[in-house]
Amino acid sequence: MLSIVVAVVCGLTGLLALYYTLRDLSADLILLAGALLSALVWVLLGVVLTLRDLGGGAPPERVTLYGYLLTAVVMTVGGGWMGLFERSRWGSLVVAVGALVPIVLLMRLHQIWPGGFA
Amino acid sequence: MSTTHHRDTASAGSARAPRSNRGFEIVLIAAYGIFALSATARSGVQIGRHFTYAPVAYSLSLLAALTYIAVMIALVRGGARSVLARRLCLVELVGVLVVGTLTVVDAALFPDATVWSVYGQGYGYVPLALPIIALVYMAVTVRQGPRAPRAGA
Repeated sequence: MLSIVVAVVCGLTGLLALYYTLRDLSADLILLAGALLSALVWVLLGVVLTLRDLGGGAPPERVTLYGYLLTAVVMTVGGGWMGLFERSRWGSLVVAVGALVPIVLLMRLHQIWPGGFA
Repeated sequence: MSTTHHRDTASAGSARAPRSNRGFEIVLIAAYGIFALSATARSGVQIGRHFTYAPVAYSLSLLAALTYIAVMIALVRGGARSVLARRLCLVELVGVLVVGTLTVVDAALFPDATVWSVYGQGYGYVPLALPIIALVYMAVTVRQGPRAPRAGA
């Protein structure tokens, strides 16, 4: 359920950012809010999965799991950060990449630890 | 952060890239940053966990990671005009092509995948496209743009 929220938030932010790129717009507060929200839902997912791990969920690849979670948070935050300081369409494209690539990581997380999302 | 940017066009200011907008360069930096991060993490886990299982593959993973880090730093510091960045991108391209070909020709050498396996198949072939895009962009920038003052290589 939470991963659907993560996918939708990241997907919408990414699509909006791509639209900004095509229209030659730099990131505004709406897009930056989307990037921030993407980062927050990833943090939330990380907290939930960590609690499940501590509760005896036993993920098979713990290092990879937390590595992916950390990478996704870094990417969403970094994308928003660059969108904030690069005032051009290319800043928006970085926001798009920072929001869309974590969706691939999300799918990989489901493969690594299906039990974490059950 | 002050809002007054000095846009001195011809004066011999700093040799660094302008502090204002970097343009498409920022996308390259972000892409190299992502690959630097993920390739370093991947090779670190692989080497730390079971290096002897696939020493060649894991060493090449590490090499790929170091290349991405080097290109990213060169781009951040020198921008698209950086000669060092161009050379490193060439090294990267050769690396992808050689490792990619090796994984196709001699799969037994690679019991486990690297970032550059089968020309970066596991990463949507972005590892193959990235150095080409970067090199083309850098070539176009050097040819077209106003000549920035540069002190030596």
